[in-house]
Amino acid sequence: MNNSLEATTNEVDASSYGEKEKLGSRLSMRIFLTNEFGLLALIVVFVIIFTILQPGFISKYSLFALGRTAAVNIIIGFSMMVVIITGGLNLAVGSIGVCAAMFSGWLMQSIGVPWPIALLGGLAMGAGLGALDGIVIVRSGLHSFIITLASMSIFFGIMIFLTHAGSYREIAPEVIAPGRMRLFGYVSPLLLITFVVAGLLSILFRYTATGRQMLAAGASPETAELSGVRVNRMTILCHALSGVLAGIAGLMLVSRTGAAIPSMAGQLGQDWLLPAFLGPVLGGTLLTGGRASVLGTLLGALLVTTLTTGLLLLQIGAFWLQTYLGLLLLVAVLMDRVRRSYLARKKLV
Amino acid sequence: MNAQFGNYRESDWFGPLLITIGAIIIVGWMKPSFLSSFNIQILLLAISVNALIAFSQMMIIAIGQMNLSVGAIGGMAAIAFAGMMEVWHIHWTLAAFLALCIGLVAGITNGILVAWTGISAFVITLATLSVYKGINLGITEAQPFYNIPDTVKSLGNDTFFGPLPWMILPTIVVAFGLWYLLRRLPLGRFILAVGGNSHAAELSGISVTRTVIAAHAISGLLAALAGVMLVGRLQLGQPSIGDDWLILSFAAPVIGGAVLTGGKVSVASTLLGVVIVVIINQVLVLFNIDPYLVQVVLGALILWAVGMNRWREVRTGKNEQRVSA
Repeated sequence: MNNSLEATTNEVDASSYGEKEKLGSRLSMRIFLTNEFGLLALIVVFVIIFTILQPGFISKYSLFALGRTAAVNIIIGFSMMVVIITGGLNLAVGSIGVCAAMFSGWLMQSIGVPWPIALLGGLAMGAGLGALDGIVIVRSGLHSFIITLASMSIFFGIMIFLTHAGSYREIAPEVIAPGRMRLFGYVSPLLLITFVVAGLLSILFRYTATGRQMLAAGASPETAELSGVRVNRMTILCHALSGVLAGIAGLMLVSRTGAAIPSMAGQLGQDWLLPAFLGPVLGGTLLTGGRASVLGTLLGALLVTTLTTGLLLLQIGAFWLQTYLGLLLLVAVLMDRVRRSYLARKKLV
Repeated sequence: MNAQFGNYRESDWFGPLLITIGAIIIVGWMKPSFLSSFNIQILLLAISVNALIAFSQMMIIAIGQMNLSVGAIGGMAAIAFAGMMEVWHIHWTLAAFLALCIGLVAGITNGILVAWTGISAFVITLATLSVYKGINLGITEAQPFYNIPDTVKSLGNDTFFGPLPWMILPTIVVAFGLWYLLRRLPLGRFILAVGGNSHAAELSGISVTRTVIAAHAISGLLAALAGVMLVGRLQLGQPSIGDDWLILSFAAPVIGGAVLTGGKVSVASTLLGVVIVVIINQVLVLFNIDPYLVQVVLGALILWAVGMNRWREVRTGKNEQRVSA
């Protein structure tokens, strides 16, 4: 309940506090109609269903594995979310994530630098590649779709060319440890890292000038520019941030598998595309930009992971899993459409 | 005469044509084996399939949208084609027909979802990409179908005249069909009008919904045709068919000067874009260049092409301003 309350305030709307008091009873109605509440309810429902069908679902190990997978999926979702805010998209998240992870692996294995520097190097690589995308998009004035489509191919191709499709397996034990560790028997340290990142992103978009400027630039570039926001700089910043987040996700995968493998996000990193969009879209991030819900993206990615884990555990998923996820995305966008028109009719928004 | 030449120079297909001819001459001079009959056959086989993939995307670019599910539809049609022949033992023509129907239905589904809900084509086709690919994996469990009839195998690889393979015939028919559609038929003009400005098109009495659905239907059909032909070419029904079509499908139309916001595509330029991509792939093989670099080159080509288009746009914009001033 507390979560959903926070969610309402989390939405970067113009709803001021005075307005809320006036609405009074409508407020409770609004909570139930928020995306975040719906997602939370769905997660609870699915957990109950899966537990009834397969009691092993809430075993300590299963919860640990779920949390660990969710940690990565949530970060991938954030990585896309910060670009969607600008009204663009980033097809290169997977590609950048793998490049960052591979660079980190190379630093550790071939150069032999200490692991903290190697991790920072990986994140810097992510930021650099993201910023490069951003700069090209801003300078050319072309849509981010085509630029990141090209760059995903270029980044991945150069990475494969340089590594000869080989993996780096000599990863520092300190890096691998968090991927294996279980706190209290069922919490993965990776999940805690994800929560910290989520907290930082919330603070960024709610309390810092830079975060607000990013949202303004996405909502209406012209107005933002006239109000003194440097829209181009914000776009580049968002892409760099997206690159860093993709790098974090890539490094988390390295920590989990114990190696930096070029194919860990599939051909050209395309395997990350679906989770990257599922989280933000389920979480109610507007694809036209200007609005982001950190909590929504987190819950969206969590719902997807819950579904995936549950279906795999029931052994009805396996090869059909991708179909279910696609249908979920379809249902989600259609539901969102219905919800929006309902809210508009009732004048609740 | 000069003015006419100027017109040619300004047209979309002139640049790609020069590049194509230049590339053929240079590569042929450095490696005479490039122009051998066998190599031309290989080139034409690659062009036949890749052109259909590019046309499939081109039809959606024409209405100002994008179709991420081109590869998934192609893959689904391919394994349906191979699977029906292996499991149900039906004649290959019937199997091919049914596979094309599957592609058509998949395309229409895309179109209906985009047109009726008003949700961006990107999200819808990302979702259906996953659905179609999932169906493909669910049916095949990632195992290929191996029993392909000999007729299909030979049609996929043999030639009927000199270096001309059978596979080039459907592509030629499709290319002329699309050219005729976009130039002469009302539906084609509607498609370009909707891509140019869908609001204006709606006000002029064009049914945007129907046009969008039609464009997606054609796209699905062409993707399925590419998938079916690839089964003959590879001689097996591989579930991974279509996985690497995404970049390719955008590269060729964009190199051919297609405007991604819609309303402006060209069949001839897209075909030349395909030829350029195929020649580059061949060159990398002929000169023993690392095959992994193919991805880099494709990405760089897209960037270069959109950059050129953009530059031309800005330049014409300036010219128009000067004229009006």
